[in-house]
Amino acid sequence: MLSVEALRIRYGEVEAVRRVDLAVDSGEIIALVGANGAGKSSTLGAIAGLVPAVSGKVVFDGVDITGLAPEAIARKGVSLVPEGRRIFAGLTVADNLRLGGAMHLPAVEARVREEEMLELFPVLRRYHRVKGGNLSGGEQQMLAIARALMGKPRMVLLDEPSLGLAPQLIDTVFDLIAELRRSGLTILLVEQNVALALEVADRAIVLANGEVVLSGTAKELATSDLVRQAYLGA
Amino acid sequence: MIAQQIINAVSLGGVYALLALGLAIVFSIVGLINFAHGELMTLSGYALLAALVFGLPFPAAVLVAVSCGALAAVAMERVAFRPMRGASVTSLLLTSFAVSSLLKVVFQNGISARPQPVAMPGWMTGAFSFGDFTIGVGPSISIVVSALALIALELFLRRTVTGTAMRAAAEDFNVVRLMGIPASRIIATAFLLSGLLAGLAAMLWVAQRASVDPLMGFTPVLKAFIAAVVGGLGSLPGAVAGGFLLGIIEVLLQATLPAAVAPYRDAIVLSGVIAVLLVRPQGLIPAVRVQRS
Repeated sequence: MLSVEALRIRYGEVEAVRRVDLAVDSGEIIALVGANGAGKSSTLGAIAGLVPAVSGKVVFDGVDITGLAPEAIARKGVSLVPEGRRIFAGLTVADNLRLGGAMHLPAVEARVREEEMLELFPVLRRYHRVKGGNLSGGEQQMLAIARALMGKPRMVLLDEPSLGLAPQLIDTVFDLIAELRRSGLTILLVEQNVALALEVADRAIVLANGEVVLSGTAKELATSDLVRQAYLGA
Repeated sequence: MIAQQIINAVSLGGVYALLALGLAIVFSIVGLINFAHGELMTLSGYALLAALVFGLPFPAAVLVAVSCGALAAVAMERVAFRPMRGASVTSLLLTSFAVSSLLKVVFQNGISARPQPVAMPGWMTGAFSFGDFTIGVGPSISIVVSALALIALELFLRRTVTGTAMRAAAEDFNVVRLMGIPASRIIATAFLLSGLLAGLAAMLWVAQRASVDPLMGFTPVLKAFIAAVVGGLGSLPGAVAGGFLLGIIEVLLQATLPAAVAPYRDAIVLSGVIAVLLVRPQGLIPAVRVQRS
């Protein structure tokens, strides 16, 4: 469904991504793991069109989307939930959700979709008229995911959904990710919490210094010596 | 006399508020302080003059003039600012100075450097009185128009998808694009609104003076810029508060200062601005803005 070929990203003199190749099939969860600064978020940013690639190619559904504007990529059905949630703090939960669906669905369908989201995230119904900035970190993460799902994307890019959340909330978020997967959504997940990521993913790719150092099924990686020593502390 | 002064003060404040809002809307979304905003005002003034000379009835002429301001703002973005998208704040600022100077020269050489009289309808210069109070028709209309424009803008920003997207874009533009909402649409709407507000402000300004000249927009937009900074640059409620505050203080000082001190009015007002910024450097009602590299 999505393939990234020989992606290279540079910020000025700093080479953030040297070479990343990856492929995501329809309906699977791929986890992109690695240390801070390994190039995970930059890779997601390049797929979503927020970060320009120096070279390489991003193909979604057989269409080359490299270098397209973020809004064009979003309208093809790829939705990024950015790191740090980045919900609109001054807008109500309702307005945050409405913007998520505005360009993807006609008004009537958007209302139906919003109802589905409120069903999936009851906490958002409780705070429907509250400004996003007044929600807790976990609630904001729910809102960010719901906002991304509003437009019925075909693929979701999740950037560090566990960042800054209390342990029981992290479990809630990952239960949700597993549930989304069961509903057939394709997910590319960036996560520093490697153990959790490997639990929920089908396959995983390990990045270090902007390069793919290891890839395989989640089970294989969870038992590999490299991953156990470097990331799982075993 | 006091009632008349209060009406004048609120009326001038309303004009400053409309102009400051136009500057704030564009700044909140593209980070540009548009110094060519005054020329949008001037252009609307000349459009009103031209429409009246061509014999259009007054309401139609006003409609044409305000539309010209709005369209000119969109054209300005398309021609001058869009190619500069992503450029530094300084480059954008210099571009807006260039557009401003260019338009001033076009007005001076293409039309005339001297003020051109605009035939305002007689009823606008009239006054009505309740007992001891005499109130000018012009300033009263000005207050009503400003109030209606503020309400309409508020409804647009709260109730429509594009308006909501604009409030969101002022916080975090990139995430709005991640929702699939085109950047160009948001930016064009911001300029359209700023042009509409400049056009309306021009009508109110010309109505008080019955003439247009190439430098017409300079002083009011400078004041509006000060108002926007006092209110909190990029904050829309701040721009409105700053505009009214500045207009009201100016008129009240004008009315109360003794003749010997009157020439120092602007100096006194600006000292007040400095005092406000010393106490509240972010302005009266600071903008909510997520700064990201």
